[in-house]
Amino acid sequence: MLETGNKEMLKREAVRYLGYGRHAVDEQTSALIDRSFSDLQSVVNRKSIYRFFDLEWIDPEHVCFGNVHVTSKSLGRNLRGCEKIVLFGATLGIGVDQLIRRKSLTDMADAVVLQACAAALLEEYCDMCQETIAEELRSGGYFLRPRFSPGYGDFSMEHQKSVMQILDCAKTIGLTMTDSYMMSPTKSVTAVIGAGTSDIRCHTKGCEACEKQDCIYRRNTT
Amino acid sequence: MIREDLREKRLFFDGGMGTLLQEKGLKAGELPEIWNLEHSEEVISIHQAYIEAGSDIILTNTFGANALKFHDGVYSLEEITKTAVAHGKEAVRRSAGGRNVYVALDVGPTGKLLKPMGDLAFEEAYEAFREVMQYGEEAGADLIHIETMSDTYEIKAAVLAAKENTNLPVFVTAVFDERKKLLTGADVPAFVSLLEGLRVDALGINCGMGPEQMIPILEELQRYSSTPVIVKPNAGLPKQRDGETVFDVEPDAFAQTMRKIAGSGAAVIGGCCGTTPEHIRAMTAVCLEIPYEPAGKKNLTMVSSYGKTVIFGEESKIIGERINPTGKKKFKQALVERDMDYILREGIRQEDNGAHILDVNVGLPDIDEVSMMKEAVTALQGVTSLPLQIDTVDPRAMEEALRVYNGKPMVNSVSGKQESMDAVFPLIQKYGGVVVGLTLDETGIPETADGRVEIAERILKEAEKYGIEKKDIVIDVLAMTVSSEPQGAIVTLEALRRVRRELGVHTVLGVSNISFGLPFRPVINANFYTLALYNGLSAGIINPSSEDMMQSYDAYHALMGLDENCSRYVAKYGAKAAAQKEAAQREAAQKAMTQETAKSLGNAVPGGEKGAEMLSGELTLKTAIERGLKEEAPQMADALLKTEQPLEIINTYLIPALDHVGKGFEEGTVFLPQLLMSADAAKAAFEVLKVKIASEESGTEKKEKIILATVKGDIHDIGKNIVKVLLENYSFDVIDLGKDVAPELILQTAKEQEVRLVGLSALMTTTVASMEETIRLLKKELPECKIMVGGAVLNQEYADMIGADFYGKDAMKSVYYAQELLK
Repeated sequence: MLETGNKEMLKREAVRYLGYGRHAVDEQTSALIDRSFSDLQSVVNRKSIYRFFDLEWIDPEHVCFGNVHVTSKSLGRNLRGCEKIVLFGATLGIGVDQLIRRKSLTDMADAVVLQACAAALLEEYCDMCQETIAEELRSGGYFLRPRFSPGYGDFSMEHQKSVMQILDCAKTIGLTMTDSYMMSPTKSVTAVIGAGTSDIRCHTKGCEACEKQDCIYRRNTT
Repeated sequence: MIREDLREKRLFFDGGMGTLLQEKGLKAGELPEIWNLEHSEEVISIHQAYIEAGSDIILTNTFGANALKFHDGVYSLEEITKTAVAHGKEAVRRSAGGRNVYVALDVGPTGKLLKPMGDLAFEEAYEAFREVMQYGEEAGADLIHIETMSDTYEIKAAVLAAKENTNLPVFVTAVFDERKKLLTGADVPAFVSLLEGLRVDALGINCGMGPEQMIPILEELQRYSSTPVIVKPNAGLPKQRDGETVFDVEPDAFAQTMRKIAGSGAAVIGGCCGTTPEHIRAMTAVCLEIPYEPAGKKNLTMVSSYGKTVIFGEESKIIGERINPTGKKKFKQALVERDMDYILREGIRQEDNGAHILDVNVGLPDIDEVSMMKEAVTALQGVTSLPLQIDTVDPRAMEEALRVYNGKPMVNSVSGKQESMDAVFPLIQKYGGVVVGLTLDETGIPETADGRVEIAERILKEAEKYGIEKKDIVIDVLAMTVSSEPQGAIVTLEALRRVRRELGVHTVLGVSNISFGLPFRPVINANFYTLALYNGLSAGIINPSSEDMMQSYDAYHALMGLDENCSRYVAKYGAKAAAQKEAAQREAAQKAMTQETAKSLGNAVPGGEKGAEMLSGELTLKTAIERGLKEEAPQMADALLKTEQPLEIINTYLIPALDHVGKGFEEGTVFLPQLLMSADAAKAAFEVLKVKIASEESGTEKKEKIILATVKGDIHDIGKNIVKVLLENYSFDVIDLGKDVAPELILQTAKEQEVRLVGLSALMTTTVASMEETIRLLKKELPECKIMVGGAVLNQEYADMIGADFYGKDAMKSVYYAQELLK
């Protein structure tokens, strides 16, 4: 069995990914969501990996860690005040892709709902991992910022390659990348997480930090 | 030489290379293989340290050296590889002191995932491995060690590359996790079957965990493997300390556990990440005295896929026979139209109905069977984890399928004819497989059991010449039609019994042949099936969707003590009995009530709200589709057919329902899952009507063709699949080219099929470029063809910029555009 936190919250996230916005989910879809979460139980194989690096600031829009240089306004903003950086990779494994692929042939509604449920599971898993990392760093007096993935804002997608190389993702967690920077297994995340000695409370993460205000999948923050 | 050694003694591998290079100054992110040229002495000294610690085999510093990773570097792959081998040999010269020490060319994974999950083609992986292996042999490596693999398919590409391009012995190890599986799903028996089929010299486990954690996997390996087993653990489970990965099992503790591992039969042992010459020295010191016993023969008849293994035994196996065009008009049509989805759905249905293995036969006189077989096997193994049975008489089709198959397949078939054996056995010898031997020869099918047993013996004997063991042959004694051969069943059953008992081989049988020419065939088939099971049928080739056959199967296993506490039987038929009872109650209620009273009773009627609605007539086909009731919709369509014409039904119920739901979706009152449930319900209803239409009219109306494809480089196809389902609902003929589709293929198909609309999907900014390229090509070569686009990163502005004719914000918008354009 997967250890998951709040079932209700997971479901709420899945509903959001399905584009329901503020609308209540219908009974049939609700049942389908429950079934999808239980189908996913048997195929999900969660793995994650992380490594810390000292963060070197060239200027507010140019940082350096390990042998990687990144120039990005949005990443600079995200990491402001950080001295360390955590490289992070996580995946739900290839079984999820196989299940969705199979369902796409016989039942598209199932496939779409599975997709949304898997996305919710992945986010939750990343949050759990981040909690563990935060705890480890807290003892050294560091506090984490929200995770930030290549492709967010002007943080170029190409840095995904460096992150995956440094973490040796293919070997350690079975996460690979195609020539066009797509992750396989698809239900996977790579990200960097800033760490600084000041405890800046920062609630905006992922969805809310995005500039696309009219997105139908946007989390309801009011 | 190493092959002889493996029969006589335990061999010691070396330990980690990466950590030692880091100690000598290798930086994070730097490629270790470059050190072969820039820091030769450091590399040689590490090899020497291991030889002095007692290693019999040292691994070259070439883990990441393959044509994919080193195609445009400062140094060529050839330089890197050949220098690496030379360093190994130099270390042997300096330090072995006359002892036999082997230099193994180390081959790690490509770091890419193979198609269909990733974007690396099987042949590309093969090529990447081939190159480095050839250099390795040229430079004088003694063997090839393929290691740290996570995917059986990639392993197969690597082993084939080694076997076809070099004469070196091949060792293979993979990374298993605590579930005793590879990351891509293979369990231990699946891994062993594949590698023994390919005839590697030793196989086992490395990396991922420490020695203690490897013991359960070693035990499992030994249960299945007749091949020497390799164990190469890390110095403990990887731990994170200050963000760095560390391994903390010290040399002595490592050695003590390795002693246990050697004692329980591992043939080749060594270390992986975090182990040092000290670990190896401690290990060899305590393991030298442990007596060595070569792996014993296991004699298991195993077939496997990437994620499942079927082991023949007391419980009989079901081989699904439905992927076969013989006597099936729709299947033939699907083959001619290359409608792969149809074939895949046939496979999934059989798996859902209880098949253990799927027979795959795609032979038709007027199609290219070789390419079709390859395509079908590749596609099937992308959606089902059942092992496949490659069923063809064309040796070329057989070889192509064997090559791309991810596992150890069944092969149907070889016969007692010399010509057949000459063609088939070399393929089994090379690729591995369990082959079905038909008891017929140049003189035909013997009329007696004696004759058939004699041919079976001859097949086994001939197989032996190729080193193919008895366990890899299953005999089909052939079921003859009883209507023309009165003794047919009796002879078959006797032959079955004798082949099983006297020759000790497993058996298969195409069961339903028995009833040709008789009325009500299921009765004969099911009863003959029971008799065959009782007489030793290891696997029946049957239709798993046939209830009669499955009942025979389930009852036989319950009766013969092969279904503990009849638990499987109870689970399956208990639910069935309950459902029957409920249906009966509903029927009784229906009889007892008039429609009016039923309406007023509402929820009280058995079957709940839906039951009441069905009784009252309130649930029409239209509402069933609107509510996405996939089970009810076809039933209602069927009921309507008694009074109305199919086309009338489509126009009065189906289309208005779809329009209603589509409009709701546009207005934001119906959401994507509901839209798709309705689409699926409509499709199910439409299937029922289509049968009727086909039987009444000679030619159906010509449908407009639309190509859909996810562009090159993009492997996300869910959006495209949603659009496909909806377009099909509105009776467009969708040509689905799949994902990661080259612009040229889209153009070629559009030309050949005279397509007027192409739909392209792309998920990310990185693949929109490829969408633009596709549009450019189509606009240039086929300006009259319209292009609609969709996908997460697109918007109207972006779509205009890359020259698309239409941007489909959501799936329904694409349908409306197609309707406007083509109707």
